[in-house]
Amino acid sequence: MIAEYLSLIIGAILVNNFVLSRILGICPFLGVSKKLSTALGMGGAVIFVMTLAGFVTALVHHYVLLPHGLMYLRTIVFILLIAGLVQIVEVLLQRFSPPLYSALGIFLPLITTNCAVLGAAIICADNHYSVIKSTVFCSASAVGFALALLLFASVREKLELARVPRCLEGPAIALLTAGILAMAFTGFSGLGG
Amino acid sequence: MTKKHLHFYGGVHPQESKTASGAAIVSAPLLATYVVPLQQHIGVPAKPVVAKGDKVLRGQLIGEPGGFISAAIHAPTSGTVKEIATCLGPAGNQLPAVILESDGDDLAAEPMPALDWPNASPDELKKRIAEAGIVGMGGAAFPSVVKLSPPPNKTIDTLILNGVECEPCLTADHRLMLEKPEQVITGARITARVLGVKRVIIAIEENKPDAVALLQEKAAGTEVEVRSLRVRYPQGAEKQLIYALTGRKVPSGGLPMDVGCVVQNVGTASAICEAVCEGKPLYERVTTVTGSPLVAPGNWRFRVGTPYAEAIKLAGGVKVDPVKIISGGPMMGMAVYSLDIPIMKNCSGILLLAADEVRQYESSPCIRCGRCNDTCPMGMMPGILSVQIEKERFELAEQWHVLDCIECGCCAYGCPAGRPLVQLMRRAKGEVMAARKAKAAKKA
Amino acid sequence: MTAVIILTLIGVLLGLAIALTVRYFGAPVDPLAEQVAELMPGANCGACGFAGCNDYVQALVSGKAKPGLCPSQSADALQKVCVLLGVASEGRAEKVAVVCCSGTDQYAIRRAFYNGVNDCHSAMLVAGGSKGCVYGCLGLGSCARACPFGAIEMRADHIAVVHPEICVGCGKCVTVCPRRIIKLVPKSAPVHVFCSSPEKAPVKRKVCSAACIGCRKCVKAAGENQMFINGFLASVNYENPPSADIVAVCPPKVLRTEAQPAASAASAAPAAPEAPAATTAP
Repeated sequence: MIAEYLSLIIGAILVNNFVLSRILGICPFLGVSKKLSTALGMGGAVIFVMTLAGFVTALVHHYVLLPHGLMYLRTIVFILLIAGLVQIVEVLLQRFSPPLYSALGIFLPLITTNCAVLGAAIICADNHYSVIKSTVFCSASAVGFALALLLFASVREKLELARVPRCLEGPAIALLTAGILAMAFTGFSGLGG
Repeated sequence: MTKKHLHFYGGVHPQESKTASGAAIVSAPLLATYVVPLQQHIGVPAKPVVAKGDKVLRGQLIGEPGGFISAAIHAPTSGTVKEIATCLGPAGNQLPAVILESDGDDLAAEPMPALDWPNASPDELKKRIAEAGIVGMGGAAFPSVVKLSPPPNKTIDTLILNGVECEPCLTADHRLMLEKPEQVITGARITARVLGVKRVIIAIEENKPDAVALLQEKAAGTEVEVRSLRVRYPQGAEKQLIYALTGRKVPSGGLPMDVGCVVQNVGTASAICEAVCEGKPLYERVTTVTGSPLVAPGNWRFRVGTPYAEAIKLAGGVKVDPVKIISGGPMMGMAVYSLDIPIMKNCSGILLLAADEVRQYESSPCIRCGRCNDTCPMGMMPGILSVQIEKERFELAEQWHVLDCIECGCCAYGCPAGRPLVQLMRRAKGEVMAARKAKAAKKA
Repeated sequence: MTAVIILTLIGVLLGLAIALTVRYFGAPVDPLAEQVAELMPGANCGACGFAGCNDYVQALVSGKAKPGLCPSQSADALQKVCVLLGVASEGRAEKVAVVCCSGTDQYAIRRAFYNGVNDCHSAMLVAGGSKGCVYGCLGLGSCARACPFGAIEMRADHIAVVHPEICVGCGKCVTVCPRRIIKLVPKSAPVHVFCSSPEKAPVKRKVCSAACIGCRKCVKAAGENQMFINGFLASVNYENPPSADIVAVCPPKVLRTEAQPAASAASAAPAAPEAPAATTAP
């Protein structure tokens, strides 16, 4: 039982890292990785939203879609759920925890349309994970996302001081770096599960 | 003398080129005009106390200190004040100046009464040092009386006299130690009395064995100790010198007084001795005029306000056209573009370089060889800092301790990519200080 | 059919949930701030004195700042902001930056060879840079790099030229320039004095042949209320600027409508810098 969850977590964080192995959520990965501090905020927001989304979508999947045989609706339903959820969370945060709200700032609405969140929910549905397992998987995936984001932001902070050939400045060198980082992560394949 | 070779971290050993070390100090002849800047020191300019047309005598006060960190200025000879105008300083800035036309008689003003220093009170001595307008003559020109008045919460136990003269080419301090050893030692003892310290060390690099031997002989029987140090640039920087002699490390952003030390140049000690024992204010100093383009490099006792052009004339003029003229030594000196600049209290040398000695290079990107890290005596990382500064990331540079930089130039000296590291550091230091000031102003 | 029902149900439930949360827990959102923010240029240049456009909007809405601090906002947008905030529009003359120097390589002498960091601030550290005139443009481009709108061109003959059609007058270059020779002037003013040296004419002429010599010809031609002499430097009274045809009276041609023409054009220009006295005829 524990071994199963452990391999699930390690698999989600390192082996099948969302960004570097599944190539999901590239937009925020490139967009908010210029500074370590913003990457940290985004990472935190993603962990928060993805865990919540994993839990809710798994609930809906198991208790609404499966019994009625409506699997073909899951994409649209999940998007609806995630978007609605983020909206509610945002309003609540603004009310009850303004510091956290201002820290997460623009990132919360950004995540609404993040394919990483939807992707995690769909992977759970595809693999018929239970509700608990889905939640664990989603939060572990989010940690993996945050890890990749932090690593990349640290690299980019150094990259900013480097002399990059003119034609490779900006997104080009960022994508190249991301590719090299992804290659490094393939070294984890075979670990855990 | 300890046999152990004392040293500090990092540094370089450039070619010494001390060609003028055998040339005895000669007093420079009287000139028709002297341009005496009213700011020959760090701090506030002095306020002129003479007006156009006034007759002055040699050694007469012409500028009184303009603030706490300031110094008095005295007339270098007798004559008439032609004008109170501005003149060009070695840093390329305009300085307020008194232009003095010599009358050729060189009449001395009534000297201040000589003090019996072993019995005079420290306050009396300090007052005299201030009145004589004495500043640090090693280069920084920090008013000595401020340096000798540490805040009461700092205890000073060691006085270090800096006779290291680690800058290549310069020989003024060396000659001074050889020709006026008593003055240097007495000056040291007076300073020690002012500070109330028992331990006095005169530090000399071992490439001047004659000076070491002579001072050791003269200092025998006094509290003054003469130590010989391994030749290494920048041994004469106070933080490095303190570490080499006492093993104490001045903390980042700290001053020598934080570790109980005061460092004083030998030239300053000699000037203090003259001021106290003879009542003579500081209006002349020993300066090396050297460089391969000169016919006869040497050491002269110049009055302040002597234009560089006159100094070069004294050294026999030039054989070949120099391409670079430097005020100070080759490592830390400043390139100047005019020979109208007057010699000031802190001018230890004038260096001329011929075309084959100066390299013009395009700087290229850092190749990360790390040589600058190995040579930086402050343990900084100039290579990384330079990249940060090029990208104008001054806040990052501040975190990487750019303010610790002493601008010794070791990093740029060894840089195979020819990067202008020191200039970048200076830029960042200026920006960081300005940002701090702005922040403080915002708070207030 | 189930699909439609379930999807509708989820949608309605979520909508209700959001509506209820907002109704009961929602913090008051200021629609005014959003509207004002839309009227900002969004360059976050900081010329208003706040840390970016949003910060300024917050200050505007809370009444801590006055509209019109943003120099790059169009007059139209400013008007709308004033209407939104319910304050009287004070109006604001549009400004552009002008580099007040004519010392291209052709005219200004160099007193030394500068082999250092390619940046004006760094050059200032080395005996004040290599140009003979200590008030002239160093030509190393600190202003061009600081301009958020790319309105400053660094010409090959070592002078910065502001393109008024791109410049929005944010004033960043004014603060960046270590020589302090970039001025913000009304966009409508037709002529400017392209010299900043307050020195006496012989001193200036020694280092630059395109310097204002303080001959007062422009003052005589335009009148004291349009042009005035400050020290030895003519200045335009931007409250009441002279018309463009006054440029003809200026012997060294520093009173111009636009920046110093590049070398090739200048050689064809009537003002030969070697003999300015010969071309004093209006």
